[in-house]
Amino acid sequence: MAGEQVEKRGVKYKSSIKDPGTPGFLRINEVMLLFVPNDPKSDSKLKLQTKNIKSHKYTKEGSNKPPWLYLTTYQGRNHIIEFENYSDMHTCRDFVAALLKSDEEPKKAAVTTSTEQLSIKELELRFKLLKENSELQRLHKQFVESKVLTEDEFWATRKKLLGKDSIRKSKQQLGLKSMMVSGIKPSTDGRTNRVTFNLTPEIIFQIFAEKPAVRQAFINYVPSKMTEKDFWTKYFRAEYLYSTKNTAVAAAEAAEDEELAVFLKPDEILARETRQKIRRVDPTLDMEADEGDDYSHLMDHGIQRDGTMDVVEPQNDQFKRSLLQDLNRHAAVVLEGRSIDVDSEDTRIVAEALTRVKQVSKADGETTKDANQERLERMSRVAGMEDLQAPQNFPLAPLSIKDPRDYFESQQGNVVNVPRGAKGLKRNVHEAYGLLKDSIVEIRATGLSDPLIKPEVSFEVFSSLTRTISTAKNIIGKNPRESFLDRLPKSTKDEVLHHWTSIQELLRHFWSSYPITTPYLHTKVGKLKDAMSNTYSKLDAMKESVQSDLRHQISLLVRPMQQALDAAFQHYEADLQRRTAKSSDGERPNGYV
Amino acid sequence: MIFKIEDVTVYFPYDNIYPEQYEYMVELKRTLDAKGHCLLEMPTGTGKTIALLSLITSYRLSRPDSPIKLVYCTRTVHEMEKTLAELKVLHDYQVLHLGTQAKILAIGLSSRKNLCVNTKVLAAENRDSVDAACRKRTASWVRALSTEKPNIELCDYFENYEKAAENALLPPGVYTLEDLRAFGNNRGWCPYFLARHMVQFANVIVYSYQYLLDPKVAGIISKELQKESVVVFDEAHNIDNVCIEALSVSVRRVTLEGANRNLNKMKHEIDRFKATDAGRLRAEYNRLVEGLALRGDLSGGDQWLANPALPHDILKEAVPGNIRRAEHFVHVLRRLLQYLGVRLDTENVEKESPVSFVSSLNSQAGIEQKTLKFCYDRLQSLMLTLEITDTDEFLPIQTVCDFATLVGTYARGFSIIIEPYDERMPHIPDPILQLSCHDASLAIKPVFDRFQSVVITSGTLSPIDLYPRLLSFTPVVSRSFKMSMTRDCICPMVLTRGSDQLPVSTKFDMRSDPGVVRNYGKLLVEMVSIVPDGVVCFFVSYSYMDGIIATWNETGILKEIVQQKLVFIETQDVVETTLALDNYRRACDCGRGAVFFSVARGKVAEGIDFDRHYGRVVVMYGVPFQYTLSKILLARLEYLRDTFQIKEGDFLTFDALRQAAQCVGRVIRSKADYGMMIFADKRYSRHDKRSKLPGWILSHLRDAHLNLSTDMAIHNAREFLRKMAQPYDKTGTMGRKTLLTQEDLEKMAETGVQDMAY
Repeated sequence: MAGEQVEKRGVKYKSSIKDPGTPGFLRINEVMLLFVPNDPKSDSKLKLQTKNIKSHKYTKEGSNKPPWLYLTTYQGRNHIIEFENYSDMHTCRDFVAALLKSDEEPKKAAVTTSTEQLSIKELELRFKLLKENSELQRLHKQFVESKVLTEDEFWATRKKLLGKDSIRKSKQQLGLKSMMVSGIKPSTDGRTNRVTFNLTPEIIFQIFAEKPAVRQAFINYVPSKMTEKDFWTKYFRAEYLYSTKNTAVAAAEAAEDEELAVFLKPDEILARETRQKIRRVDPTLDMEADEGDDYSHLMDHGIQRDGTMDVVEPQNDQFKRSLLQDLNRHAAVVLEGRSIDVDSEDTRIVAEALTRVKQVSKADGETTKDANQERLERMSRVAGMEDLQAPQNFPLAPLSIKDPRDYFESQQGNVVNVPRGAKGLKRNVHEAYGLLKDSIVEIRATGLSDPLIKPEVSFEVFSSLTRTISTAKNIIGKNPRESFLDRLPKSTKDEVLHHWTSIQELLRHFWSSYPITTPYLHTKVGKLKDAMSNTYSKLDAMKESVQSDLRHQISLLVRPMQQALDAAFQHYEADLQRRTAKSSDGERPNGYV
Repeated sequence: MIFKIEDVTVYFPYDNIYPEQYEYMVELKRTLDAKGHCLLEMPTGTGKTIALLSLITSYRLSRPDSPIKLVYCTRTVHEMEKTLAELKVLHDYQVLHLGTQAKILAIGLSSRKNLCVNTKVLAAENRDSVDAACRKRTASWVRALSTEKPNIELCDYFENYEKAAENALLPPGVYTLEDLRAFGNNRGWCPYFLARHMVQFANVIVYSYQYLLDPKVAGIISKELQKESVVVFDEAHNIDNVCIEALSVSVRRVTLEGANRNLNKMKHEIDRFKATDAGRLRAEYNRLVEGLALRGDLSGGDQWLANPALPHDILKEAVPGNIRRAEHFVHVLRRLLQYLGVRLDTENVEKESPVSFVSSLNSQAGIEQKTLKFCYDRLQSLMLTLEITDTDEFLPIQTVCDFATLVGTYARGFSIIIEPYDERMPHIPDPILQLSCHDASLAIKPVFDRFQSVVITSGTLSPIDLYPRLLSFTPVVSRSFKMSMTRDCICPMVLTRGSDQLPVSTKFDMRSDPGVVRNYGKLLVEMVSIVPDGVVCFFVSYSYMDGIIATWNETGILKEIVQQKLVFIETQDVVETTLALDNYRRACDCGRGAVFFSVARGKVAEGIDFDRHYGRVVVMYGVPFQYTLSKILLARLEYLRDTFQIKEGDFLTFDALRQAAQCVGRVIRSKADYGMMIFADKRYSRHDKRSKLPGWILSHLRDAHLNLSTDMAIHNAREFLRKMAQPYDKTGTMGRKTLLTQEDLEKMAETGVQDMAY
């Protein structure tokens, strides 16, 4: 619709009803309504920006009034334009009406989505989303920065991401990895005896969480007594001593180096925490209480060596720590999850934050009796037998599963830009129900006239699928874990995947733009089409560039993408033809230029 | 629901009842009517405890003229808590329907460590020091002294309790340990002594086995229970072990050293008293001459552990003359210690009967059998006279005196075994002299004699005819119940081969084979990836578990497991294990899922339930045989063969399989629950082993599941889990009712058909 305008000669402009009117020439286009009086000396020249038009009224055909069009501006002024005949008036009115809708509505409904009025918060959120999701970022870069899509259009399909939910959800903290810290293996250069450890903030966090003594030592020693690097060197030295299981050496080294000894000694902070926790444990699990009740095994009473219990070498050696304890500790920490919200590279900040959190939770444990109460309630609930009684309603925790509605809502985002669609959606429930009911009745009565899928189409889909699958099988064998994609060189694979996502994005925008009702959509579709044909040629280029042994597979992968694009092009052409046909025979020659 | 079993109206707190629960109650009622003992095996997951509690309490209500008392023995404190929680539900229901007349007093009883509310006493590290810390504040002489010296610290809770005297009573209700502590805190009364006092008034007492079976504890706590009591031993499959442990004691080098130190201290005290308060020692002597070993009325704070011998074996006569004087007694003990020290210095394993031990003791150390027998009583009297409160310090000498008393009292059913080191660790010298009891019937005999009905029940009592022989009693009812299944909610499988078709076993020559270790690991890796929530693994021993986990860690199998589920492990540290269990449950609750590694015969296998999502599959790695070269075990087997004509092999298999059944049986708690049991050892496929499993497991063990490899087991598991996830009709299908309503029961009563469920 871009560049469209309507021109009418022989109209009269009146500033009020009483005004006899000034004859002249009227031109309306997207941005401007211009009235030039025939008499150049007349001062009733009118320049009206279309976006200032608030509403319009017109006189009805058959009433004894001449064909007038009333325009009201936001400034509160009225303009009256008298046409020669009704059909002229209607042409102009339709144009104005269309302009009003396409221009005004977004302004009213979506004030917030226009860029300059976006709150900083939202911008930040968008920025954050882009930062977190590299794929999104790539798409954004490709389409928004190359102006295929506007910023708003791009985000409109991702309303959900920007919604309140996502803000809350994004606060859901990442858990810890299940990998054991002791599983960190150093890398060697193979020639010397030097080993290198790579520590990430994640690993450091985990070490601090699992070993409070190390955390405390870090706060105490770094940087006042040693550098961070020295600290970690010592730590891994201690870990190495553990792994050798040679307690004598460990003891000797600990005696010489008091900082090293900190790592080798049993963790006192941990022991304290343990004592705290054992008081809050579920009484139906409390085996420590058992031990306190067992007088049969009072010192040396009971049977010692009858082979029911085996002996393990004493564990209480100061410099010995068992793998089993490490495993338990690790699992407990992973279960607890990431308790701090510090996203810092600075190790010291992390260490201090963790210490603070621990202290708070300790204080909580001492003051609240709620935990105790809850524990007892849980016990009594579990005491019952579930299937002998009516079902209980257990408290539910919401699952964080991707909502399938996201897909549909993303379509809605586009519809907002299309006023007519939006109106349609606002249709009330009764109406919608009535329509649905009617169509059901109709189908009941007549049955489905056509099969949902034409047999030829389904046959074709089937046969091509079978072909693809069988050829794929021939090439890569039966290993189900390996897909063809894994066999491609990484760059090609990435490229294919990227093309796929970008094609999806383009197609989504493309199809949701139909039916084209506004010049805005018209331009959008044009841009999209250009971008798509661009991608199409890129796909072709990629096909050409890969090695010959992979070419067949690539073409198989690319074919559905190209087919989807072809369908879009076809639709575009057909639509364009229909439009031109319509405009050529449906309109007056002086209507469109 | 409320229904009648013959003349008893039973109040059952649920809307429905399993047919086997009903049957169980019928049998139980017959036992109570006959005033005899019974042996009932009912599968886990059929609500034994609640059936038992509701029948016995209802029976009590129906016979208001001769109220019976229920003494419910559990193996562990946490089972005690669980039982009391169920009793609470029942009690609420009965009170709702009958009003206040249904009110009962039910208490759980435990040691000071679990009941004390005095923070200063609780600060003590272990049970024995808590006991001592309590005594330091509550012993009669300490309290008497405090009137003169106000700076002596007493326990306010105990003082308040004493002040309240006869008014210190618990109102009716069901009290768990937590409730008792809360009540004590509120009133300022000591919960421990209050509970001990309430034992004689309570209608239901829940406590641990040893409070009835171990004479040391039973002598203080349970001696006043009336004959009209019903004693229940729940989860009693290991009761024979508890019985023999109660009468066994051993002496090590550290014991002797400690005992010597104790004697030095006592000697010192005696000298001090001689100088300052000679009258006191003389008074003790006179009392002993008169034949009173102990002052008759010991106040609560003064009581220590009672005589280790059984009540009817204790001679009621005067202490022999040669140990009446304190210093003489100390001399005798010194000679005893010396003799024991010499015996410990042996190079070889020695086995001896008590008779020959006593005679050689007599000839070499000049201590007569009768003197030995009075060691315990004499020691206790001396300690009271010397006003010793730090009893935890004096444990070694007490152990030695317990040993002397036992060896002097019992001539048969025991043996003395001296080992210079543990068989499995010959490089560590650790000499031990063990007095080991072989006859389980000894310790339980007074219980059978004293109480009108004793109910022994468990999920696994097969073969059920073995128990009456082991415990030598005649049950009036002995029955094993089947489980009526609504659906096949358990799926036992025998896994004999790994995915590479090589056999798996923990047999001694195979267990360290890397192929077996790898196959076991792969099985778990596959299982954790398909089973939701909780997975439990049992190993045959700690050392085996330690080794296999270390190997898995090195070969990366553990890493694969950790990717799917969190790993928690039972260690020998009870506190750590408890926390690990607590975390395990939380991991299952939150959906993260977890694996628990545990040990058959360990504390977890004994008493922790892995029901519902806490355990969807149990893997039993290997057959948990006892260490067959153990001298004590051999001696016990010999005794069993000679006395009961039980073959060694049979007993070992029976024992191993009851442990295995016990481990896997923890997975199911009700019929709505479901779980898989994997017996991962090729030996389970043999008929002689397998047939020792309880019937309710065997009946679900299909022939097709007897010889599986890992991949087949995985396939079955997938199928089973999918099937179990479907909705089903809880009340049973195809005419077999597995859930009865009140109408069903009424109909059954009318028609007289009682076995319609089977």
